[in-house]
Amino acid sequence: MVKYTNYLMLLPGLLLCVFFLVIPLGIIIRIGLAESVSTAEFEIHGLTLQNYVRYFTSPQTIDILGNTFGTALITCFICFLVAYPFAYFLTFYIENQKIKSYIISLLMVPFLIDWNIRTIAWIPILGDKGIVNSTLMSLGLIKEPISLLFGQAGLYIIWLQTYVLFMMFPIYLALNRIDPDLIQAAKVLKAPPHRVFYDVIFKLSLPGVVCGWIFVFVSTLGDFLTPGLWAGGFQTLGLSISTFFGKNVWPYACTLSTVMIVIALAALYILLKMVDIKKLIYES
Amino acid sequence: MKLSVKHLPAKIYIAIIIVIVYLPIILVVLLSFNVSANVTFPITGWTLDWYIAKPKGYEYGSYISVLYDKSFWKALTNSVYVSVAAGLLTCFIVTMTALTLRRRIPGRDILFYMILLGFIVPGIALGLGNVLSHRMLGWKPSFWTPVMLDVIFAVPFGLVLMMARFEPKLMEYELSASSLKASPLQVFRHITLPLIIWEVISAAIFGFLLAWSEVIRTQFVIHGTGVLSTFILTELEINPVTTKWYAAGTILTAISVAGLIVFAWILSRQTARR
Amino acid sequence: MGEIIVAKDIVKWYGKEVLALNGISFGVDEGEFYVIIGPSGCGKSTLMKIMAGILDYDSGGLYINGKNMKGVPAHKRDLSLMLETYAVFPHMSVFDNIAFGLRMIGKDKGYIKRKVTESLELVGLSGLEKRSPVELSGGQRQRVALARSLVIEPSVLLLDEPLSHVDYRLQRKLMEDFKTLHKKVGITFVLTTHVQEHALILADRVMVMNTGVIEQIGTPEEVYRTPRTVFSARFVGDINLVPGEVVSKDDAEYAVKTEIGELKALASGETDMLGKKLVYAIRPEFIEVGKEARSCKNKHKAKFVGYYYLGNFVECVFNVENKVDLKVSVPPETAGNLKLGKKYAIGWRSNDVALLEKPSVIEGLDVEEVIYGK
Repeated sequence: MVKYTNYLMLLPGLLLCVFFLVIPLGIIIRIGLAESVSTAEFEIHGLTLQNYVRYFTSPQTIDILGNTFGTALITCFICFLVAYPFAYFLTFYIENQKIKSYIISLLMVPFLIDWNIRTIAWIPILGDKGIVNSTLMSLGLIKEPISLLFGQAGLYIIWLQTYVLFMMFPIYLALNRIDPDLIQAAKVLKAPPHRVFYDVIFKLSLPGVVCGWIFVFVSTLGDFLTPGLWAGGFQTLGLSISTFFGKNVWPYACTLSTVMIVIALAALYILLKMVDIKKLIYES
Repeated sequence: MKLSVKHLPAKIYIAIIIVIVYLPIILVVLLSFNVSANVTFPITGWTLDWYIAKPKGYEYGSYISVLYDKSFWKALTNSVYVSVAAGLLTCFIVTMTALTLRRRIPGRDILFYMILLGFIVPGIALGLGNVLSHRMLGWKPSFWTPVMLDVIFAVPFGLVLMMARFEPKLMEYELSASSLKASPLQVFRHITLPLIIWEVISAAIFGFLLAWSEVIRTQFVIHGTGVLSTFILTELEINPVTTKWYAAGTILTAISVAGLIVFAWILSRQTARR
Repeated sequence: MGEIIVAKDIVKWYGKEVLALNGISFGVDEGEFYVIIGPSGCGKSTLMKIMAGILDYDSGGLYINGKNMKGVPAHKRDLSLMLETYAVFPHMSVFDNIAFGLRMIGKDKGYIKRKVTESLELVGLSGLEKRSPVELSGGQRQRVALARSLVIEPSVLLLDEPLSHVDYRLQRKLMEDFKTLHKKVGITFVLTTHVQEHALILADRVMVMNTGVIEQIGTPEEVYRTPRTVFSARFVGDINLVPGEVVSKDDAEYAVKTEIGELKALASGETDMLGKKLVYAIRPEFIEVGKEARSCKNKHKAKFVGYYYLGNFVECVFNVENKVDLKVSVPPETAGNLKLGKKYAIGWRSNDVALLEKPSVIEGLDVEEVIYGK
């Protein structure tokens, strides 16, 4: 068996990972432990935990982490509430295969449009002079326009729009993979509909659900543009990182990044524990 | 296409979601013809100016019509180049890796987890890390930088998708071919590749799509005109939001729809084959 | 005429825990029809794939035509393997499937056309050149797989469980086809199966396998009449097994003390079995009922407790002394006269008995387990 060709084929992927993933992450961790970095010659000075100390004793840390976690989880939850029924109905209630693929293609179109355009597209709806406010005011329900767009509400709406597809797809794929014989078997064994759903369908779709949650969670963690532009003053971890980087305070920015990476890795660990990805992917 | 009324509430739900998702886009298209520069209702008049009005010399940024906004088109073409490169590179890496990870070789799990990292590590960390590592390694930020970032993110996705869709009997066909005197290269050319060609093409398209819509990671590594997403971002940061951007959005939507129709056609050819 | 395949001590591990082959050694003679038989999971498919070169092994030696196959990839070996699932290439026509191997070795178009047409005739698929495999029945696909393996004229044809997915009735016809093909083509055939009848009908020689080891090798008659272990005895053909101990020997006979008394067996003369604990084995067709039983050395009165009607004979179950059930093959006419619950005389000759020392080649197996199966 010629084994070296196997490793040759894996080389591109390996090089990609090493140079653009492992080394950058390594540098982040290293600089997070540095005192300062001279930007001109790129010299790293010092090995210290002072950045971490600073981080964990800062009063804003808890607030910011709370904000970040909280909004991430809420977003996951909202996306889940919207996406699961959608995926479920799409899988089980739409019989025609063609319509299924049309709907999926339809959903992809907005995704292809630039994120910026998608977000400013909400201005005519949620803005101060937008549809919602105008309607509410003309109905006399409110006197002043509600600031929907530049607050938490706007944040969630935009995040929902951006990431709901990433929640929907894994769930949809998982639901599609369920062997219809299993559902039949449950029905034949006289299971009431809600038990059929919970015990069979939901549990079998769990790998997809977990994937979707992890993905949306991690994406919202790293998304600093949306809160920055649209949530006005709402501080998240990602935003902090970009601020410090912009001010050339690299070590502290890297410390924050390391914290974020650890959170993401913890999420990955949970994913791998709950869902045996390898079984889904590997045949052997 | 027959439309049955079975499960009507479910179908209504799906329709509502689709409408909600499309509502902003429809408004964008509608309002792009608005005379007023304000991006909200009411529509004060209809015009094509935001698309094709010849600049009178004093407009800037948000007021130049789309057709004459050179930086816009530059950014657009940049995006196309980057996305195409990302798509092709993703496809290549994903195919090579997916085919090899099927076999039980030492180190397979480690590589798989490393690749998965690319999708788990938040974009901002990747962006930051790559900026720093480029400095350290003495690499100059170039065309390839955003490409590699997009590839790092698209590869885990593409890999999982491709491996999940491999024909279960693929390995058996390859083994049979071996026993029928086909060398490994011949097996790849005559058996493996023809049987996975649609998955390979899908991986390329997928890589392209992900790169096309990416903004967060890219933000870190690009300065200046850069790709479409960063360009628009920068512009919006310094300029007011005007209808011109709706016109730009409409054009982008049209391009995306056209691209999607092509993609859907390719997909339908694939299902027809099966 | 020599040994075309020689295997010495082949060991194969799957990962760190599963030992698929535990030191397999055997030889296949040129031109013979060699059948490997064993229960599912015993390693026969693994062995086939190792011989074909599509699976690597951990230690041992494999020689084909005298040449060491270590490091020789599948496409350079002079044999062809047909997988259990046939694996007919779905994206090629029947013609292209069969022509595949010839194209890979670079034969020219005219040669290929000729050979493929001949091949199609040989397996009875003439006229189906342009068809796509999805349009074919399972049997037709198998014949395509067969044709494409034969057309490249290998020295050995390996067939992995070709009869597994075939209707029972068609299996007979298929086996006849294999035998005819074998005679016509004249090359060595190696076939695996888990059904003993296949082995008995097809084989020049049989290899009985059991989880990674070889229990016995011999002609069908040798394995049937003189099994070496309990496992072989049970696996090839039906048999009655009674554990016992050899307590005495007189003249040419041993007396084996069992649950149902002392049973007599012919001493074959090689090793002295006196004092050994072993299994007393007698095939159902060698046990007589009624009149004929009276002249047998081993006679018992047994109660007729049940039967299985098998068409050309009836397998009757007789219970001896409430301790042991013995299966007896009885012609239907005789069986018709038997009444359930009544006692009859049954008996057998000492020279039809086999004494089995070992439950299995695998050490440490419990005799009871091997007899009654796990």
